[in-house]
Amino acid sequence: MNSTSGVGGTEGGTGVPIAGSAAPRVRLPPPVSRGRQLRSGAVGLYRVLRANPLSFVGFVLVAFTLILAAFVVFAPHLVAHYGAEQQTGVYNSAPTLFRWPPSFAHPFGTDGASYDIFSEVMLALPTDLGIGVAIAGVALIAGGGLGLVAGFWDRPGHLSGYTSSFIMRVTDVFLAFPSLILALALVASIGKGTIQAMIAIMLTWWPYYVRLVRGEVIAVKHLPYVTAARAAGVRETKILTRHVLRNVLEPVVVYFTLDIGTVLVIFSTISFVGVGVPYPSSAPEWGSMMSFYQGNYPFQIYWWAITFPALAIFVTVLAFSLLGDGLRDVLDPRSRRALAESAAHEPPPEANVGEPPVLTLPLGRDSPSGSAALGGAP
Amino acid sequence: MTEPILKVENLSVDYEVGAGVFRAVSNVSFTLSAGRVVGIVGETGCGKSTLGQAIPRLLPEPPARIRSGKIIFQGTDLVPVPKHKLPMVRGTSIGMIFQEPLNSLNPAFRVYDQIAESIQIRHWREIGDLPMFRPGPTPFDYSRRPMPKAEQVLTKPFLPGEKVQEAARHRLVSRDDYRREVLDYLRLVRINDPETILRLYPHELSGGMRQRIMIAMTLSQKPNLLIADEPTSALDVTIQAQVLTLMKELIDEVHASILFISHDLGVVAEMADDLGVMYAGALVEIGPIAEVFKSPRHPYTKALLRAIPNQYKTDGPLPSIPGNVPNLSRLPSGCAFHPRCPIARPVCRVETPQLPEISHAAACHFADEVANLP
Repeated sequence: MNSTSGVGGTEGGTGVPIAGSAAPRVRLPPPVSRGRQLRSGAVGLYRVLRANPLSFVGFVLVAFTLILAAFVVFAPHLVAHYGAEQQTGVYNSAPTLFRWPPSFAHPFGTDGASYDIFSEVMLALPTDLGIGVAIAGVALIAGGGLGLVAGFWDRPGHLSGYTSSFIMRVTDVFLAFPSLILALALVASIGKGTIQAMIAIMLTWWPYYVRLVRGEVIAVKHLPYVTAARAAGVRETKILTRHVLRNVLEPVVVYFTLDIGTVLVIFSTISFVGVGVPYPSSAPEWGSMMSFYQGNYPFQIYWWAITFPALAIFVTVLAFSLLGDGLRDVLDPRSRRALAESAAHEPPPEANVGEPPVLTLPLGRDSPSGSAALGGAP
Repeated sequence: MTEPILKVENLSVDYEVGAGVFRAVSNVSFTLSAGRVVGIVGETGCGKSTLGQAIPRLLPEPPARIRSGKIIFQGTDLVPVPKHKLPMVRGTSIGMIFQEPLNSLNPAFRVYDQIAESIQIRHWREIGDLPMFRPGPTPFDYSRRPMPKAEQVLTKPFLPGEKVQEAARHRLVSRDDYRREVLDYLRLVRINDPETILRLYPHELSGGMRQRIMIAMTLSQKPNLLIADEPTSALDVTIQAQVLTLMKELIDEVHASILFISHDLGVVAEMADDLGVMYAGALVEIGPIAEVFKSPRHPYTKALLRAIPNQYKTDGPLPSIPGNVPNLSRLPSGCAFHPRCPIARPVCRVETPQLPEISHAAACHFADEVANLP
């Protein structure tokens, strides 16, 4: 479908060149205006979320997390204290070696250097979110793209078939190793550090998407509507990018959202082991915080030091899991409509309360066809 | 006699599944003249749908394989055409209506998007943005035109000439253009309240509605040849009647030639000018529909007609054909029908009867004796 624009083409077989009328090849315009579509989409989203309270919680939590992360990035002084301020804070009289439990001024307590753990946890939020989205996103694009190709073009005995099997065998090799162990081994070989840990997880993460997307594509590509699109003259590439991709998208986006949480846990684990983000650092990370506190602050006494970073991981992962479940309902047009309608509690259409319609049959008792229809009784 | 729009010559299609080879279509030949409706009937699994999908080369290859034969559409053989050129023929030249209305619409797109996509393909082909199949010596030589050179674009006058303006005016660009066309086609297939239907998803429509939308999609591309593969078999009788009436009206409106595939003799009798009967992958009889119904010349056709439930014959069991449809991977020798045939002779087991090239032809050694059968 993506050939050149209409310059120098012919019109209706009459051979009239329509030079210069190079209207840009536009996407199909929507049936109703964009604004109206967006508004109805927002209303639908609201209804779906209201119908499923847990996904509503997830949605709110994720939105809250994102807003908080934006604050940390753009206005950090509103959310977190920095060292200089801490030195002049309430605990100024005992700046070192004193660890305060949670209090009103320091809701998550402080650590030995009188660092405010709440600030640390907040400062780690954008780092963790960014890492989760980046790793899962790279895996989604790389793995998903490979999965689309491997699933759609797999004619045995042809180039496409060999390409497809090659992709799948490489995927199998990667999937044969537990991804956490493989990521740890990769970090060990390419060196410690944030970027290195991210690259290691990305390298182990894409095969899951290949498998998921390929399975979905294979399930979809033999459905009658794909054949119908082919019969309508749609080209293969467009069938893949429009008809197949749209129907594959739903489970993949759901998986992606759930996966952000999983990636977070994996990354924190790698940091916890001590090969990820170093701590203390200017951009802390929850896993490395936990690792640091776990080593230096016995949990039995300083329970707050490790509890709050752990809680932060828990809440973020939970938020994305709940959102993923909700998204499944939003993305599937079938369940979307059903949910929106059940949530709207729309009253049934007004029953026709007038005279009931008189049913008239064209059969009279006297007409021969009528008596025949009534069993031939005289 | 006008030039036939479609000429199928000795077409054989195999399915290669695992160890076995299924002869789904063997040696089928027929001609479809412009403006005619040819009906193809046969039992389930006799190769009707395979035949229908083989014509626009829609069968997945593998497992399907066109073993031999020619599919001559508007003077061009489609069998040797490479895969990437086939979209040119499909849609605007050969349209297709499928038998599963429930699954033939993409569940992720609104009715509008589906019909508008068909209209867009047709429109782009008409204005030359997409290559289009045209009958002639080089029907497929409409590959991508080269990109215009920069100086060409720059030296073009901003306001083109009159003819160009004319063409540009007919371009569908805005939302309203597409909407209007989509609404037109929805009205054409007699859908009430098209403005509402436009915005619905396929699962929100009834089977009959979906089938009509399929028909609207196919017709919106203005095909020269329409292949209707059991378009009504998934519908209940009242909806079936509506769709059939609609199709009959549309035949008159759009002047398309139609290949009508069905297992329902009544439906075909309603629609077709000519009737072809298939058995075990082969065309056993073909002729003008009135003649085939009145005086069938193949014992299978005769038995098939006898098996139609009849309101006048109320006593006794319904007549049926003894035996089973043969396995397509192990067809009987000679005439495929001989194990079930009441007039089979030793020669039937040895020699495969050919379909003669006459107006009412039957592939039977003893076609003249069929009239004497009960």
